[in-house]
Amino acid sequence: MSADAETHPAPRLYRWRMPANWWTRNRHYFLYVLREFTSLPLAIWLLWLLYDISETRLVQPTAFAVFSIVCLPFALYHSWTFLSLAGSIIHIKVLDRPVSPRLIVASQFALWIGGTLVIGLLLLWLAP
Amino acid sequence: MSEKVSSRPALAHLFWWFMFAQGGVIAAVLLPIHILFQGILEPLGFINVATPADVSLLANPIVKLYLLVLIAVPFFHFAHRLRYLIVDFGVHAAKGVPAQVVFYGGALAVTLLTIYLLLTTAPITF
Amino acid sequence: MPDKRITIRATRYDPDKDQAPRLQSYDIPFYDESMVVLDALNYIKSNLDGSLSYRWSCRMGICGSCGMMVNGTPKLTCNAFLRDYWPRSITVQPLNNFPVIRDLVIDIEDFMHKLKSVKPWIIRKQEIPLGAGEHYQTNEMIDDFRQFSECINCMLCYAACPVYGLNNEFLGPAATALARRYNLDSRDQGLKERQPIVGDAEGIWECSFVGECSVVCPKGVDPAKAIQQTKLDTTMRFVLPYGNRD
Repeated sequence: MSADAETHPAPRLYRWRMPANWWTRNRHYFLYVLREFTSLPLAIWLLWLLYDISETRLVQPTAFAVFSIVCLPFALYHSWTFLSLAGSIIHIKVLDRPVSPRLIVASQFALWIGGTLVIGLLLLWLAP
Repeated sequence: MSEKVSSRPALAHLFWWFMFAQGGVIAAVLLPIHILFQGILEPLGFINVATPADVSLLANPIVKLYLLVLIAVPFFHFAHRLRYLIVDFGVHAAKGVPAQVVFYGGALAVTLLTIYLLLTTAPITF
Repeated sequence: MPDKRITIRATRYDPDKDQAPRLQSYDIPFYDESMVVLDALNYIKSNLDGSLSYRWSCRMGICGSCGMMVNGTPKLTCNAFLRDYWPRSITVQPLNNFPVIRDLVIDIEDFMHKLKSVKPWIIRKQEIPLGAGEHYQTNEMIDDFRQFSECINCMLCYAACPVYGLNNEFLGPAATALARRYNLDSRDQGLKERQPIVGDAEGIWECSFVGECSVVCPKGVDPAKAIQQTKLDTTMRFVLPYGNRD
């Protein structure tokens, strides 16, 4: 910022400070932090699954069920936000015409539904 | 902002973002059904599905490979997201290399642990 | 019919006198349903307090000068209608995430520097001779980058971005969107030249896709999309150097 240094020194800028509670001030910011936070319960769930695999049994089935009930909404929110956003990022052209973002998002959700069906059926079919 | 010398993008960031994206897809597509079936409905006795108790399944190399992908790859997604979440909470140090070592190293450690556990639990017999 | 009135609370900061910004209330007539916050500020300056300082120019949402926080949301004050807030009071503050020079005027040097750093102009490795004529571009080619060319440099997106608020080194939404506008322009050959800035650690990789930049953009530029697409393109370009040109 230029200033006439002989008679007027450059005025004091008031520096911006980010408030610690910035993410509580706006619904979108809160939902963003929630979206990012889903990583934590899901990471713990996978570690719990890994532990059970290493023990070749469900070590604490009831506790695992309770924790899973808490985790499922986080997992669904993670899937919903990730796949919706992934759709807006991917841009491809078929025969020189851009594919509509709605179609790409739809394909992501189709992938989700397909994967869910395949794995669900496999888990049922492979049951002892 | 200082002048940049390299004409290549910040490769480490590129790689971790790529892993974040891969892990995100796997977690998004596969986790809910596993949580619903193996985490909720099976333990509560509503349905009967494959579980970690099925040793014969765990011995199958294809099952091991699937479990490796299911468990390890999402951790690169989680590591990336949680590191940046901590940055968002004002912890500037989380951007530095030591923090990257902790988070991505952690994901790598989980990967190695998963490989080890999958190989030693219900080992593959030839 | 009784005159409608409305209260405007505006940030005042005199760097020679004040330690910190403070809010000052003004009670003004709300004489026309088409009044915008900028009209309110102009009324205050003309009739109540000539010392109030703020930037504005076109009054029609195209110059990008009049961006301020209106009740906590970054808006163009020429595009914020009093009728949407009345009878509640309206708090007008300088754009978040920027240093304040005086009252509602922010220091935009950082943004100007970043804008210049992405070289927002057509870069040619070799200019085609004048006799060869124009660069031909179909409407479809323009559609590729049209959305990102709508940016009016109003900096609302920087005010909305918490990553920028936490870290002033971040390249930011508008600069990245404009870099992409030129990278996607069929006439441009400057992608590699922009790469060191755009693909830098403080460039696209800092973005965690909060998305608020696109929410507040008054021109529908969708800088969040521009940044994520740039991440994907940069990665694909690196993975398949001879392939995917997109």
